[in-house]
Amino acid sequence: MKKLRVATGHLQGCFGCHMAILDLDEDLLSLLDSIDIVRSPINDVKSVPKVDLGILDGALCNTSNVAVAREFRKKAGKILAFGTCAAFGGINGLRNLFSLDDVLQRAYVETESTVRGKVPSSPDIPAMLPHVRAVHQEIAVDYELPGCPPTPKMIRSVLKDIIGGKKPVIPQKNLCHECNRKHQEMYVPKREFVTNAVHAIMELDVIDPDRCFLEQGLICMGPATREGCEARCVKGNVPCRGCMGPTTGALEQGAKMINALASILPAGAMMFMEDVVGVGYRYSLPVSIYPYREEK
Amino acid sequence: MSDRAKKARGHAGATTGLFLSGADGAISSVLDLKSLSARFRKSLPVRIYDNLHSSESINAVRSVVREERLDSVVLAGESPLFYRSARNGDLLLRVLQEEGMNANRIAIVNLKEQTALPHRATPLEATRKASVLIAVGIEKARLSHDVGMIEVAPKKTVAVIGTTSGGIYAAQRLLERGFHVAFVDRPRQEKATPASADAMPTLAYVKNHPHAVFHVAPLEELYGYAGNFRIHLKGGVRLRAGGIIVAIGDDLAYTGELYPFLRLERSNEGHFRTIFSDTAVTETVNPGIFLIPHDTPPASVIACADSAALSLDTLLKRHSITHELFVSEVNQEICGGCGTCIKTCLFHAAELDPSSKLSTTNIKRCVGCGNCVSACPTGARDQVSASTEYLLSAIRILASYNPPNGIRLLYLLCEGCGYQSLDFAGREGMEYPTSVMPLSVRCAGRIDTQFIIEAFREGFSGVVICKCGDDRCLNIVGNTDLDRRANLFRAVLDSRGISPERLRIFGVSNCDGNSCVRGAVDFIEHLRKMGRG
Ligand code: SF4
Ligand code: SF4
Ligand code: SF4
Ligand code: SF4
Ligand code: SF4
Repeated sequence: MKKLRVATGHLQGCFGCHMAILDLDEDLLSLLDSIDIVRSPINDVKSVPKVDLGILDGALCNTSNVAVAREFRKKAGKILAFGTCAAFGGINGLRNLFSLDDVLQRAYVETESTVRGKVPSSPDIPAMLPHVRAVHQEIAVDYELPGCPPTPKMIRSVLKDIIGGKKPVIPQKNLCHECNRKHQEMYVPKREFVTNAVHAIMELDVIDPDRCFLEQGLICMGPATREGCEARCVKGNVPCRGCMGPTTGALEQGAKMINALASILPAGAMMFMEDVVGVGYRYSLPVSIYPYREEK
Repeated sequence: MSDRAKKARGHAGATTGLFLSGADGAISSVLDLKSLSARFRKSLPVRIYDNLHSSESINAVRSVVREERLDSVVLAGESPLFYRSARNGDLLLRVLQEEGMNANRIAIVNLKEQTALPHRATPLEATRKASVLIAVGIEKARLSHDVGMIEVAPKKTVAVIGTTSGGIYAAQRLLERGFHVAFVDRPRQEKATPASADAMPTLAYVKNHPHAVFHVAPLEELYGYAGNFRIHLKGGVRLRAGGIIVAIGDDLAYTGELYPFLRLERSNEGHFRTIFSDTAVTETVNPGIFLIPHDTPPASVIACADSAALSLDTLLKRHSITHELFVSEVNQEICGGCGTCIKTCLFHAAELDPSSKLSTTNIKRCVGCGNCVSACPTGARDQVSASTEYLLSAIRILASYNPPNGIRLLYLLCEGCGYQSLDFAGREGMEYPTSVMPLSVRCAGRIDTQFIIEAFREGFSGVVICKCGDDRCLNIVGNTDLDRRANLFRAVLDSRGISPERLRIFGVSNCDGNSCVRGAVDFIEHLRKMGRG
């Protein structure tokens, strides 16, 4: 069988998604029977050869990211936006809440450890985009695989589908579906909240590992987050932070979470966390209805 | 801007027809109906009539529907409220349904109360605005799918709530016509019945009648629809009734107790009221529930009792009653069983399917308020009467109107209060700027915060939500949940550089046009000071 020619590229992110490919362990070896990775940041080929599949991780933050993405689109038959940064902008997107000037000032001048800082301005340095964008906001994307980073299991199944010429299907339901924690109050219609005691996670000495976090007064983004990660954080007794992004039927992950929370936890819950926006939009701001802060 | 998958629009091969009404001059004297017709004629069949309720126009509409093979229509003229408050106001709707049109494919655009009347001083602008509102109506007709229907064989029992003179007279009429009557009243301290001395002989008749029963117990649950209501009383009594007559006089405490179960409109003083005291003396917003109004003069009590009994007789003698399932639907491909909707729905209509562990809607209980649709964090739930896709699209269309004052306001109007109060303002001759763009929603609880941010993205200067006053929500907690959502959302608006002051929430009552309109004028002034416009 002819092997699928694959190039991978890195835009703006933490490289975690590429690491996740390595996390396939021995599965990677069997995958290599059917794919040829002809270009990746790991073999350090700079140009993009003609390939069947281009895998891009990371978001678009600067002009170089845009150039790489466009080059990939030209050379690759299909494009896979790989990981949350590529699919939704990811963590990088939170900078959309500030003006680019403020971001640069903060990073290069105002940070506490900086002495006589200066915003770099060489023409050799790619210019920052005013707002972080997801890959599909610049080039046509054929497949998306969210996850920060995606689980090895999902990577395997998505690549297998693509190799087999099928459009990969990613799960559509919310995380609560694959979370095995028990619900009691969430299934009882009533005016009162599921609990009035709301906590930040570090405040609690004991967290019940079997009961829904919301019912323990802890904000869990699971209801507004796509399933597929095998509920890894929840299994580690940490509430979901929403890295798989919104489900198919939602346009704003944070807005949807706020809608839901209104009848679940006291309004103070979110206020208490003091970061409604950070909680609700940590991974998906650039793909929201209003993806950045409006400049006056 | 975030890109969104462009969905295939509407129904394949569907034809929508547009019918414009001059409202016997009320509309045609202000709006340029010819130019409106010219604008839409390119894409769909359009007709103009002097009005849409004379038998001539109804017949004319009928033949156009046949000739053009329409499967959906837009009726642009009178307010949707007219169709339910005028006696037989719904005749046209019935005729359309006889022609095979589904109830959910009929969109009503309010050109009279919300365009022509309040903007009569600026006919040109009024016409431009009307054209945008019509475009929203067309979108509604095209995007809505057929509503499901069920047939109910009516129960031949009537529940009479309140042993007042009115209730007793009505019961007597019904018993004589062969119905069973179940009285329900609340426990009272004093022994005396609240009925007048004149009604005593009738009370004796009723008490001795083998088909009458009396229950004294508070309500625990009430659900169902015309033809088949289920009433649970504290203490275990379970009743089934085809219809309900509410005859509790001016007992405000009892009104408050019954309100969450009956969901009838209330007057400013807090009494239940009928749809429209001139034309529908005992009919309420809930089909199958009739009211002897608290302020019925003693001399008219019998007439009201007759009217209620006659209406129920006509209704319940039918072989079957058709009930449209304007409910909330669940897309089980997306639902993950998180329970948010179940927790939220105080009608106990959102349920967990024990086998799939996903959510379902109990159609016997669902009133279609849409609160669960807003609450559902995945978008698995949608409202049959106004889908999320339609509402978002409507917001975009409404944003296309450029008012002369440059300040666009989106008015999200709860049907139970805000919509009516804006109509009231129009009828009362109050004028306000054309930049108020109305969009009606079933209940404030249907307002998803996504709509608010969509409106700002589309360029609205301000968003106003008109919801029912504190204890007046027809859907129990719709207004409270909206409040919580919108207020939490202010932090999100702020984060995007949208001043939270650009969102205002008005608690209004249904005949309070004044506060709705004054609010707009005030708000526009405020926005102008903020530099918007
Ligand atoms: S999605 Fe997460 S793991 Fe992947 S590059 Fe972005 S931040 Fe790193
Ligand atoms: S809210 Fe969180 S803890 Fe609760 S069921 Fe959903 S994912 Fe699990
Ligand atoms: S539990 Fe939530 S935050 Fe953790 S990996 Fe899954 S989706 Fe991401
Ligand atoms: S919240 Fe309203 S629409 Fe949703 S299930 Fe309950 S009654 Fe029906
Ligand atoms: S809120 Fe939505 S996802 Fe959650 S159980 Fe209800 S329908 Fe399902």
